[in-house]
Amino acid sequence: MSTDTDYDDIRGVFGIDFRTADKLYQGLLLASAAFFFVLIMFPIYWMLQSSLKTREARRAVTWLPSAESLTFEHYDVLFSSDVGLYLFNSAVVTLGTIVCVVAVSLVAGYGLARLNFGHKENFARFLLFGYMFSPIVLGLPLYLIWQEIGLLNTRVGLIIALTAISMPFSVWLMWKYIQTIPEAMEESAWVAGASRWQAFRDVIIPQTQPAIIAAALFAFALAWNDFTFAQILLPRNEATTFAPGIFRLINQGYGAPWGDALAASMLTTVPPLLFAYFLQSYLLKGFQIRSL
Amino acid sequence: MAGKTVEREGTPRFSLDRIPVDTETLLGIGTIIPVILLYLIISIIPVGFAVWASLHEIPLLNPEWTWTGAGNYAEVFRVERFWGALGRGVVFMIGSTLLQLVVGLWMALTLNRITRGQRIITAVVFTAYLIPTVVVSLLALFMFDTFYGVFHVMGAEWLGIWGAQEFALGQTDLAMPILIIVGSWKFSVFITIFTLAQLRSIPQRFYEAAKVCGANKWDMFRDVTLPRIQGVILVAVLLRSIFMFNKFDLIWILTQGGPGYATTTLPVLAYREAFEASNYGLANAMAVVMFLFLAAGGIAYFKAFNPSDEVET
Repeated sequence: MSTDTDYDDIRGVFGIDFRTADKLYQGLLLASAAFFFVLIMFPIYWMLQSSLKTREARRAVTWLPSAESLTFEHYDVLFSSDVGLYLFNSAVVTLGTIVCVVAVSLVAGYGLARLNFGHKENFARFLLFGYMFSPIVLGLPLYLIWQEIGLLNTRVGLIIALTAISMPFSVWLMWKYIQTIPEAMEESAWVAGASRWQAFRDVIIPQTQPAIIAAALFAFALAWNDFTFAQILLPRNEATTFAPGIFRLINQGYGAPWGDALAASMLTTVPPLLFAYFLQSYLLKGFQIRSL
Repeated sequence: MAGKTVEREGTPRFSLDRIPVDTETLLGIGTIIPVILLYLIISIIPVGFAVWASLHEIPLLNPEWTWTGAGNYAEVFRVERFWGALGRGVVFMIGSTLLQLVVGLWMALTLNRITRGQRIITAVVFTAYLIPTVVVSLLALFMFDTFYGVFHVMGAEWLGIWGAQEFALGQTDLAMPILIIVGSWKFSVFITIFTLAQLRSIPQRFYEAAKVCGANKWDMFRDVTLPRIQGVILVAVLLRSIFMFNKFDLIWILTQGGPGYATTTLPVLAYREAFEASNYGLANAMAVVMFLFLAAGGIAYFKAFNPSDEVET
């Protein structure tokens, strides 16, 4: 390109000059951002404002609960009914799944990235193949197996199942992430007299923090989200988690307690909001994967 | 000094040299044993069980299994509703994936370039992916409700797409598009997260260089951005297609496969076959066939696009 080209000679998209194109671009960008913000926020807002209305007020479609119909009574479900128990079970299962997934995938990811043994790539690909099975296909036989070994209706049983389901992806994530950490860092620890385990604990684990948080977030997304496995593996009402529990609550027939269900749903939306706000950079950092 | 270094290096190397391959292989396999065990319990054994069950005639409440060999498979291919469900499953999968790809990519590009309020808008978008499907589905049921649903008011009274007395999800021609839209509200963000992570890793100097050369925004997108995100897009599209094809909870909560069979995709059909028609063997045969179709599709996709190609940044 010659240096004496006039600024106005360069044409933007569709031959519009650069300044107009830039303005158009900025406008489009703002409009898109606003559109997506509204698109995602509107249902969440609707859930929030509906959960704050009395039963009568919910019959009319209004944008805000009026002063006399504003109520917090639906949030009592947390303490008074089964819903509190469902939420507690969900929290326990989610936490357990996160811990198990991170531990298992960290160790396996390290092994795949740093140790030499045959068929590593094939193994990792084989793991990803597991995603091809529908949860329905796995869940129905698991019911019989879990019944046989006494894990049915236990939180541990669901934790094991969910760990296995979210594991292929986290193993893969850890593997690819640990590969990006220079091996020289570990070697210098060895030279200083550290054992393999010490080097793993003091060099690899701190370095892998973004991937650990990313794996934890995805385990959270999966466990917090799970409906199918909990529905099949926790049939007893007092053992079940939020998702099947709330579904039963709504499906019990006429006069479904929508207020309680919406309040409970709102409560399950809070942790995702907080994680999405505070941990978004980790989510993105741990997620820079380029290929299978 | 020099002697010390040699000694230090010499000791571990000595022990490694004694049993060079075995320790590392053993240790390596040791690290993946928990993974293998979990995978065995949760995937291999149930799938083996499903294949075994698919070869039997199994009424659900009856523990007696009768061997039928390939009889269930012959029936799967014979029955009309299997092919119908397969077709609807493909429509659901392709429709969802396409919508999610367009919306997700657009969201990622927006989030990557926006300067003000980036953090809060990103958080809001990511939240959609982390909200449980059951909440999304129940909320959709609530908002489409004929008595107090806001979408019902918008769709029926403002736009007149369906009648004021009709339930939108109970309309044969509307149920599937609504399912696709509700699902995409949540799952588009999956593509956004994948793509945005990749977009953030493109060095700014590439764009500056392109600008110096007189490239406009479209040129930059085509020649700088696209080559660097197409690998990740191919992977994300593959994963999304598989997940949408296997999707059960969303469809089950919203429509239970209805009205009639209008939203009965293969996983829903297998579930209905097992629990409504009480035909566990046939249901498993359907699940196995479903998996085979998916595997064939996945392999064809790999052959056609090869998402393994890495793009260096």
